[in-house]
Amino acid sequence: MIPSTDYIRLLPELILIVFGLLVMLIEPLLGEHNNRKGLGAIALMGAVLSILASFYQTGYEGAAFFDMIHVDTFSIFFHVLIGLIAAVVILASFEYLNLQQIRYGEYYGLILLSSVGMMLMSSAVELVLIFIALEISSIGTYILAGFRRNAPISIESSMKYFLLGSFATAFFLYGVALMFGATGSTSVYTIATTLAQGATPLAYVGIALMFVGLGFKVASAPFHIWTPDVYEGAPAPVVAFMSTGPKAAAFAVLLRVLFATEAPGWFWLIWASAVLSMTLGNIGALVQNNVKRLLAYSSIAQAGYILVAFAAAKDIGISAVIFYAAAYAAMNVGAFAVASHLANVGEKYVTLDDYAGLGRRAPGLAAVLTIFMLSLIGIPVTGGFLAKFYVFQAAMQSHLTGLVIIGVINSAVAAYYYLRVIVYMYMREPQRDVPVLKMPFALGVSLAACLAATIYLGVLPGRILDYAMASARVLVR
Amino acid sequence: MYNHILSIVLFTPLLGALVLLLIPKEQKNAIRWVANLFSLAGLLISLPLIPWFWALRTQSGFKFIEGAPNTWIPSIGAGYYLGIDGISFLLIMLTTLLGWISILSSWNAIQDRVKEYYVWFLVLQTGMLGVFMALDFFLFFVFWEAMLVPMYLLIGIWGGPRKLYAAIKFFLYTLLGSVLMLLAILFLYFHHHTVTGAYTFSIPELYQTAPQIPYHYAIWLFLAFFIGFAIKVPMFPFHTWLPDAHVEAPTAGSVILAGVLLKMGTYGFMRFSLPFFPQVLDPIAHPAVRGTIITLSIIGIIYGALVSLVQKDMKKLVAYSSVSHLGFCTLGIFALNQAGLSGSLLQQINHGISTGALFLIVGILYERRHTREIAEYGGISNVMPVYATITMIMFLSSMGLPLLNGFIGEFTILQGAFIESKAWAAWAIPGVVLAASYLLWLYQRVFFGPVNNPKNEKLQDLTPREVLCFVPLILLAFWIGLYPKPIFQIMDQPVQQIVQTVRPDLNKPVLAQTPIPSAAQALPVEAGK
Amino acid sequence: MLHLALFLIFGVIAVVGAINLIAQTHPINSALSLVVVMGSLAAEYLLLGAEFLGAIQVIVYAGAIMVLFVFTIMLLNAGAEEQTRGSKVAIIIGIPGMVIGSVAVAWALIRAHTGAEVPVGSLYGSAQGIGHLLFRDFLLPFEITSVLILIAIMGAVVLARRES
Repeated sequence: MIPSTDYIRLLPELILIVFGLLVMLIEPLLGEHNNRKGLGAIALMGAVLSILASFYQTGYEGAAFFDMIHVDTFSIFFHVLIGLIAAVVILASFEYLNLQQIRYGEYYGLILLSSVGMMLMSSAVELVLIFIALEISSIGTYILAGFRRNAPISIESSMKYFLLGSFATAFFLYGVALMFGATGSTSVYTIATTLAQGATPLAYVGIALMFVGLGFKVASAPFHIWTPDVYEGAPAPVVAFMSTGPKAAAFAVLLRVLFATEAPGWFWLIWASAVLSMTLGNIGALVQNNVKRLLAYSSIAQAGYILVAFAAAKDIGISAVIFYAAAYAAMNVGAFAVASHLANVGEKYVTLDDYAGLGRRAPGLAAVLTIFMLSLIGIPVTGGFLAKFYVFQAAMQSHLTGLVIIGVINSAVAAYYYLRVIVYMYMREPQRDVPVLKMPFALGVSLAACLAATIYLGVLPGRILDYAMASARVLVR
Repeated sequence: MYNHILSIVLFTPLLGALVLLLIPKEQKNAIRWVANLFSLAGLLISLPLIPWFWALRTQSGFKFIEGAPNTWIPSIGAGYYLGIDGISFLLIMLTTLLGWISILSSWNAIQDRVKEYYVWFLVLQTGMLGVFMALDFFLFFVFWEAMLVPMYLLIGIWGGPRKLYAAIKFFLYTLLGSVLMLLAILFLYFHHHTVTGAYTFSIPELYQTAPQIPYHYAIWLFLAFFIGFAIKVPMFPFHTWLPDAHVEAPTAGSVILAGVLLKMGTYGFMRFSLPFFPQVLDPIAHPAVRGTIITLSIIGIIYGALVSLVQKDMKKLVAYSSVSHLGFCTLGIFALNQAGLSGSLLQQINHGISTGALFLIVGILYERRHTREIAEYGGISNVMPVYATITMIMFLSSMGLPLLNGFIGEFTILQGAFIESKAWAAWAIPGVVLAASYLLWLYQRVFFGPVNNPKNEKLQDLTPREVLCFVPLILLAFWIGLYPKPIFQIMDQPVQQIVQTVRPDLNKPVLAQTPIPSAAQALPVEAGK
Repeated sequence: MLHLALFLIFGVIAVVGAINLIAQTHPINSALSLVVVMGSLAAEYLLLGAEFLGAIQVIVYAGAIMVLFVFTIMLLNAGAEEQTRGSKVAIIIGIPGMVIGSVAVAWALIRAHTGAEVPVGSLYGSAQGIGHLLFRDFLLPFEITSVLILIAIMGAVVLARRES
């Protein structure tokens, strides 16, 4: 008999599943040419309810379903974060789908169901469940990436993401199998106790293979090659979703697997990957003219900064990762939401040249994008600054001076390409006539939410930092 | 109001920026009026600080303290924590004054994107004031970085033909400097934790622990801070962004850049580098550190002056002269004695006044003729007599003529350098001579002789608004030149404290034994006794 | 001893089948190679004492799923695919990388082998053991798999829908 509290510990996921099914069931009842805003509203409701359910879980912390999931401050934080990302992306998609003539309500269903996977990833403490959750979140995003059916580039993006992604999850699964071979268990905590008595080479290989799989999901180098192509082709709101949600979830898994199991031999793995991600991401971004590609490279670099925190001491490093994931989600979803609005029908206008003179044509939108860019650079009063500050602080505390120096030099280099966006918007005259559509209400709300979150995290980060710290303590225990 | 004066001064410009956002962008004149009102309000509201501060000038420590350490983000130990001493007080007054003047001077110069311009300018103003007021390293860094953005946009949007290049160069240079500084700040922060067990960014508390860091660590930290500040000043090998930024920036931007932004570097030296790292600067144990910096300063003085001499563009000439003048300021700071530091601080104020005025002067001519080529002009004193007179006064002030402010500053600095080493003073003196030559030569080429370019015949002399911009600057130049004593008195206490931290053995001021007749009344020693 | 020999033989068959699956250009040939792989894996399960898994493997994979594959291929009437020359990078980095990776894993596996023997059938290979695992300890992953399938079906529906 499964106690009823177990269901409460799974409540956010259950809500999302129910609403996902609802969307799926209503979709066939709608006519071919009706728009799908109603479905979007249902999906939004589901996302909001699941956020509320996550808050409600605060009183019900503990393990559920035979130690498959652990509800704790850590998992609640990521549940809320993923729920928020899903909600904001759903809002941002309302007009986008109309504009691009995408008339598939499944879009919303897929967002909800892949959020289920991401949420489970953050609370699962069992590698098998983590794998299934990872697959759920991945398959959802593979399909979402191909939603611009009439654009070959979107199909290509979906295909590429699918092939490479499956390859990566296979690595993860192989890693899990070897870990089982090394420790006789797939439960994170049992593995931890076994490994505490000494690790075999098999465990090292297992960790390395699992890292390959997760490194792919977070787009860290050297597993980042897919990122620019996929982000370029996928619909912009979907990119907003898949560059933040699965990333946050994969970081949550990495945190659990690496820190809770006290995994052996991860330090240099992380170190090398962090350095490579920052450097390759930033260098790649320097020469991009397509805004989506630029943001893709930027997201590789951002993953690198987060990995710097991984290499740092336990508690403060973990809380830095958590905080960064939140700040990154706010600014990146915002940036892609702006990009999706400007892209217009068929995502025609996505190069920097199309952004020229935006400061005159759409001052509000340009100002908002400027703030997101400044946040990505790490200029104060934005969440990005505090996140970066916190990461480097964590690394300094662990005496990783070399890594920090590479990091700060990278973030100074990165300023160049983020500034280029600002330069084009404010200091270049437009080359051709690029229409800017009226800001739809729903997108306006989602942008406002991202903006508010970015500023809030930059000005009054105290509560979130404390919460991140509390979550970190749960993990290291 | 007394208790919250700093916050009020700090946020008045920001409030102005927010109010401006509410005005539709088509109403350019309304925007100009509101911006000017707020910048004037910013100046006026800072004036009560003068008597209030004067009353407290002899007390040690920071005054008008607001907020407390660790109140803003307690989990990392950052606080909203403001306070000023004599050094920051003088720079704050300079900032509010120059802020008002720059905004006043932009009335006609800026016709494009007026609203954005004033918004960014007012934001910049808050950022600069915040840098001088912050007593918390985190807060300091926030203002320090946040200020970059408005300045970047001011150069990049309203600048000259090569504005994009100049703006990016400015941004990247300064950002690189400040991220290195961030590392050093974090190191100090963790060191404080290892010593005391508490995490805090509070500067007064870090003052207690930082000097105990062993030399082989401290030298690297010092270097990180040094590069950050040296780029800002800019000192000799780091100066290459400055001419580009100055030449391309709009006039008001140049005024603020030269008048205030550069002072942040020197302020950083005085506020952080010196009191945090006496172990590195100890001239007996590690003479090479100070020697290198002094050498760079002297190279800067002479190099800047020589390059000024050959410029064909007036603004570039003034920009390079800044490199030379700031060389004097760093020379004074790293002389590490009372005279050097006081002279340096005074010279920073002077530089703000006179170079600010020089950029305004160039800007006024540029507004009328849209060129800054020296060769385009000649005989301007015939068409613009008022303008020529004002220019003469400011040139003389800048080149350090007695009775005007520049003289007192340079003289005290040289005195400070002389005490340490006669050679330093000897090497720096050509800078004074060269300054006279490039400025007077410039004056001769532009203002004297016949008007041989027909385009210059119909130039309009200064409008009352333009004259108004110069009045406070001229008054200050004369006041400091004739009666600098009160200013020395204000900076006396903090400067003494710095000297005592850096060189505890040097407690009795050497100045008293070297009577110098002409500037005797200017000496800070008297005030201190 | 016979066990070991058979295990090795089927292992080799599985690997050869997998290589052949990639090397063949005609989809039907590839599909049939996959049957070989699945079949030999089933034999491996049997040899390890997991009779239930072995049977499931034959019924579900080698049986049902492969039939589906073959049907699909025939319905689409897919012909032999064109051979393209693979990218040089893949050959220069990929093959050595693969070799190094396999060697590393093999080395780790050999190191992990302690010499202690585990009697055949002591692991959860029986229907009872698997049932216990699936419907008790791993109930949640098992149920959540339905979401995985659901999302895959949803994707298939979207991808298969005709553009109007």
